[in-house]
Amino acid sequence: MTTSISRLLPISTALALAGVVGFAALAPALAYDGTNCRAPGNCWEPKPGFPAVIAGSKFDPKHDPKELAKQSESIRGMEERNAQRVANFKKTGKWEYDVKKIAD
Amino acid sequence: MTRLTSSVSALSLVVALGAMVGAAGITPAAANDKLVELSKSTDNWPMTGKNYNANNYSEAKEITKENVKQLRPAWSFSTGVLSGHEGTPLVIGNRMYVHTSFPNITYALDLDDPGHIVWMHKPKQPATARAVACCDVVNRGLAYWPGDGKVPALILKTQLDGNVVALNAETGEEYWKVENSDIKVGSTLTIAPYVVKDEVIIGSSGAELGVRGYVTAYDVKTGEQKWRRYATGSDEDIGIGDDFNKDNPQYGQKGLGLSTWEGDAWKIGGGTNWGWYAYDPDTNLIYYGSGNPAPWNETMRPGDNKWTMTIWGRDVDTGMAKFGYQKTPHDEWDYAGVNVMMLSEQKDRTGKLRKLLTHPDRNGIVYTLDRTNGDLVSADKIDDTVNWVKQVDLKTGLPQRDPEFGTRMDHKGRDICPSAMGYHNQGHDSYDPTRQTFFMGVNHICMDWEPFMLPYRAGQFFVGATLNMYPGPKGDRQNYLGLGQVKAYDAINNKFKWEVMERFAAWGGTLATAGGVMFYGTLDGFIKARDSDTGELLWKFKLPSGVIGHPMTFTHNGTQYVAILYGVGGWAGVGLVFDLNDPTAGLGAVGAFKNLQHYTQMGGGVMVFSLDGKGPYSDPNVGEYSTKVIRAAN
Repeated sequence: MTTSISRLLPISTALALAGVVGFAALAPALAYDGTNCRAPGNCWEPKPGFPAVIAGSKFDPKHDPKELAKQSESIRGMEERNAQRVANFKKTGKWEYDVKKIAD
Repeated sequence: MTRLTSSVSALSLVVALGAMVGAAGITPAAANDKLVELSKSTDNWPMTGKNYNANNYSEAKEITKENVKQLRPAWSFSTGVLSGHEGTPLVIGNRMYVHTSFPNITYALDLDDPGHIVWMHKPKQPATARAVACCDVVNRGLAYWPGDGKVPALILKTQLDGNVVALNAETGEEYWKVENSDIKVGSTLTIAPYVVKDEVIIGSSGAELGVRGYVTAYDVKTGEQKWRRYATGSDEDIGIGDDFNKDNPQYGQKGLGLSTWEGDAWKIGGGTNWGWYAYDPDTNLIYYGSGNPAPWNETMRPGDNKWTMTIWGRDVDTGMAKFGYQKTPHDEWDYAGVNVMMLSEQKDRTGKLRKLLTHPDRNGIVYTLDRTNGDLVSADKIDDTVNWVKQVDLKTGLPQRDPEFGTRMDHKGRDICPSAMGYHNQGHDSYDPTRQTFFMGVNHICMDWEPFMLPYRAGQFFVGATLNMYPGPKGDRQNYLGLGQVKAYDAINNKFKWEVMERFAAWGGTLATAGGVMFYGTLDGFIKARDSDTGELLWKFKLPSGVIGHPMTFTHNGTQYVAILYGVGGWAGVGLVFDLNDPTAGLGAVGAFKNLQHYTQMGGGVMVFSLDGKGPYSDPNVGEYSTKVIRAAN
């Protein structure tokens, strides 16, 4: 869409329009309706009176990085145990769920 | 095809086809072929949606508009489990496989003598799994893999505690068992497994606890993980390559799984998938939806929150995404996008035959896409009372929101339609290809919504909103009745052929049959049959408990049966399951369905119907311990 506009308009007009678009992207939305996109698939805008970035604002959830890491750590552990089970199954033909009973 | 076979010998055709397969590097999908064949027969119901089109449609037509009123119970089976029973049983050959909610018991029944349990698998699970289940402790069903001569036929199941189990379909013995989800971080499993080729696809649950959603493929023969793809994060994690959305770049392409989140919020951003899958052997894509972002409080997660709320088309061999269309960017209402995807081939308005995917979403829009590339074909309001969105632009795919019904901190949103339960929830709907009609079980519920801040702690609820729910504008708001509808929908001409209000909701979905009769169950415990063309109510039967699953049909020994799981519960019935009274409890469900207790109570089972109740026990000697009667001498 941008390409077709720039082909049709003088460069100065295109630059002015780009400036307007850029400003609109930074300014708080008068009313967020989800149709003013900064890029394809990126159309969120802060609602009036709300910050574009919540870090440092009164809405900052201040997530604990240790808590945020727990899911990926858990998944890594499950994948490792499953891999042990599958390897043992392929080797012995018997499924053993308890990895403590699987010999190295 | 007729012309081709007439011009070459049968032998040369076989050789040529073999060479083509070899050249393309494609392995013949034997299991796939068997499942396709099984699903074509009216004798079987080998997957939750009947077939890979997930259309819940059977060619069986012994039961017709004229004789459906003669349906009577043929036999029944109590599962012994009280909480909600979603999904539907499977039937393969002379076996019915029945699943339950937690503790996730699986039963194999003999259709010739269903009074005898062939085998039962009752896993031991930690009770703590119940504490992290979002909305009752439901399970949506089983999957079947037909075996290959070396590995026996298998029944695949998920457990609430996060394990995936393969059972020997003949004996019920565990064949393999892997960990997919960890309840310690709030991740559970409620989804029905889905078999394609020699893989079993498994989703994830727990977005209400901040679980980052993923979908995983396992080798059905060994339990080995083949691929795992996430809903949020890096392109590599999500499975986004250079050709992602190449036909629809306006949907967004690379980098958005990180850039549409602030900081590390994507790590706890939800997007789990616990609904239904469909598969097209021609495109080699599986189709499903990722769910809501976490937390529900939108102020805590600025951005479009890609790729939650997305209809996916993924290559089943690699998990790579061919297309992704986000229906509700930056969700503000918990319109989790996991609902059923039904596949059809229909001519569009220009007369072009297209491969379509139709998806009634929680957000109150029923979407139809071209499933080869994700083109948006139509996006219609399920009911004209949907108010959060004014329209969906079919070119950009963007919903134009009505700011009046947006949510935000320090604000109580009022009369938002649909409610978080959606105008359509997890019910598995049906499509009648002869009538080109979708039959949809629809909710009619609106809500007030007030967010609050809360910290993330792994394994704890991470919602951040208080909800009050009540009937939509067409219901009875004084008496909390009129919470549902059933509708017949034409996706090409964008119209509803007929619709009818229900006292509560047709939460579990619908069944379509070639006999011109469609079936569904209601929360207050009826199974109903309507004329597929007119919606006229032809028959109903009061079940022992409310329904949140979808009916199915099968033929056995020449008789057509209709079967349905009953057992009220799920999100809609969570107040009954956990004896809750606060109207905001159960994430708002308790208030909406506060009158359900006056119509039904808990208790799960299967009820099977046939014309005049004909069935295995029509001969009363079937299943008897002894047929010899000893009479006293005169």
